Amino acid sequence: MIRTALITASLLAGSTAASARPVSYAGGWTLIEDTDRQSTTALVHYSPSAFYSLGLRTHWHRSEDILFTGPQATWLAKRWFGEDHQANLYVWGAAGLVKDIGNNPEDDQLGGQFGVMTDWETRRLFLSYRASASDFGSFGQSAMQAARVGFAPYKGDTGELHTWLMLDVDHRPENETPIGVTPLIRLFYGSALFEAGWNVTDDAPLLNFQYRF
Amino acid sequence: MFRFLLLPALLALSTPVFAQDNMNHGSAYMPDHHAGHDHSVDNHGEDLAATQQTTLSLANQPELLAAAAAGGEPIVAKVLGAVCDFCAKAMNKTFGKRKDVAAVYVDLDAKTLNLVLVPGATITDKELLKAIKKSGYKAEDITRGPSVIAN
Repeated sequence: MIRTALITASLLAGSTAASARPVSYAGGWTLIEDTDRQSTTALVHYSPSAFYSLGLRTHWHRSEDILFTGPQATWLAKRWFGEDHQANLYVWGAAGLVKDIGNNPEDDQLGGQFGVMTDWETRRLFLSYRASASDFGSFGQSAMQAARVGFAPYKGDTGELHTWLMLDVDHRPENETPIGVTPLIRLFYGSALFEAGWNVTDDAPLLNFQYRF
Repeated sequence: MFRFLLLPALLALSTPVFAQDNMNHGSAYMPDHHAGHDHSVDNHGEDLAATQQTTLSLANQPELLAAAAAGGEPIVAKVLGAVCDFCAKAMNKTFGKRKDVAAVYVDLDAKTLNLVLVPGATITDKELLKAIKKSGYKAEDITRGPSVIAN
């Protein structure tokens, strides 16, 4: 019961594991949900300026039954502009409470997560790299890195449906299967972004959603 | 375990936000004797019209044309880095809530931000560039006045 409530709350509360544009325009709110082969993360954030965002992050490590919840800050360290491209470098960190939501829960711990993410994008090509590390106290430490390449089969104009075909490769050194490969489709429409894919190495779904208010 | 995080973190800490973002000293719009001409600004505040020969046209959107027909000043800015609908959304939101803007549209194909002001309102190039920066982007050229419709 408590476990269900916590997980539901985490999904409602709002991650930036793989998401596009984790900092919005000044005054913008964003709701993000990411589910990969290992975890489900949610983040709701507000951007006081176009350079950083502040929000609440919830990260559910599904196989370990650990739930991390805490405030997150994301900083747009650099943005490169070109006539036909944009590239970004983000740094983020979160600190909060780590809860064991398994059947025999251990005491809560203080924990933290931090990461970097960089991307380069045109209207037809996309490249990104991200890395993050988690310290969940006595529950353990972990790290991951991932890269993604994508292309759009057509150029979508303003307000049209934008479609991307992507391949995501992640590396989680402590996993039984350290390298994960996930082909996915990204759909962009107006303020909403949706990604669906399948991790072929772990037979697990990828489902990401983002909405910008 | 975390060693691979160090390089990008150091890179992030050593670089300023918004590369090329030194456009705050661009030239101001001069509506009297420059009406109908390009008013382009670059990183040094110089007029680029002579060197780039840029011709910007207002997007063919009903709201823009109606607002221009009502007497508002049309403005078209060439925007760098606008590659997706989130970019468009950022600029639409930033300008859409301004009381001096009657209509706004971001054209990803033309890479332009299109504005029509409410009749009688004015926005200087400096204010415009600041607002574009606030939305997370950067403008390269600004063209305003009836010529953007004629084009």
